[in-house]
Amino acid sequence: MRDRLHSLALDPKLLAIGLGGGLLSGLLGVGGGIIMVPLLVLWAAYSQRDAHALSLGAIIPISIAGIATYGVAGEVRYWQALGLAAGSIVGARIGAGWLARIDERLLKIVFGAFLVGVAALMGARG
Amino acid sequence: MTGPTLYVALAAFGVVVGVASGLLGVGGGTLIVPFLTLAVGFSQHSAEATSLLVILPTAVAGSLALRRRGVGDLGLALRFGVVGAVGSVLGALLALALPASTLRLVFAVFVGVVGLRLARDGLRGEHADDVRS
Repeated sequence: MRDRLHSLALDPKLLAIGLGGGLLSGLLGVGGGIIMVPLLVLWAAYSQRDAHALSLGAIIPISIAGIATYGVAGEVRYWQALGLAAGSIVGARIGAGWLARIDERLLKIVFGAFLVGVAALMGARG
Repeated sequence: MTGPTLYVALAAFGVVVGVASGLLGVGGGTLIVPFLTLAVGFSQHSAEATSLLVILPTAVAGSLALRRRGVGDLGLALRFGVVGAVGSVLGALLALALPASTLRLVFAVFVGVVGLRLARDGLRGEHADDVRS
């Protein structure tokens, strides 16, 4: 039982990043990955590749909570969601294949550029 | 856009979102929401709800593909995500009480600085780290 509990425990930094990242994401309405990946790399010292993989998996329960909290029923447009998802599921497998192979430094550069773009978009929106 | 054209555009944009999600470990809402409001004409609420429903299967597909390749630790990621989910529900409740636009601007600056730092680290590494084969 104790082993089981231990295996469910999280490193305190992961706990803090999960809570803080989730909090900011809920507060600002932005995706968790934008916050979690930089914190995992710069503070918790995960490799760039592992940080992206950890973030992608974490988005599964976070998005389930989002769906449960906001109650998408009534607002969601199912056919359009299906159209987007048909493409994005194919794309995700391609992207994950790239993540498995990409040079860590190139990944840093691509992600850094993505963040700068997101910042500009958020700044423009005010 | 209407009819078949709309769905071809949605699926094509979906591929782009999926690649970004799988490669960068992000949900994709940052891309989906502006696309649905600006290009397709959804209301903000509809766009956010629809985006959530797209993000979930995308993250599942990407995570399973990563697990097949032995990248990361999906069990750890899911536990980490449960903590994140608790935080995000608290954040959504806090958002009702705080001035969002100021926060967003402060946060945009933070994200921009972090992005520049990561890109700089990556660029610097290209020159300093040639020993690695």
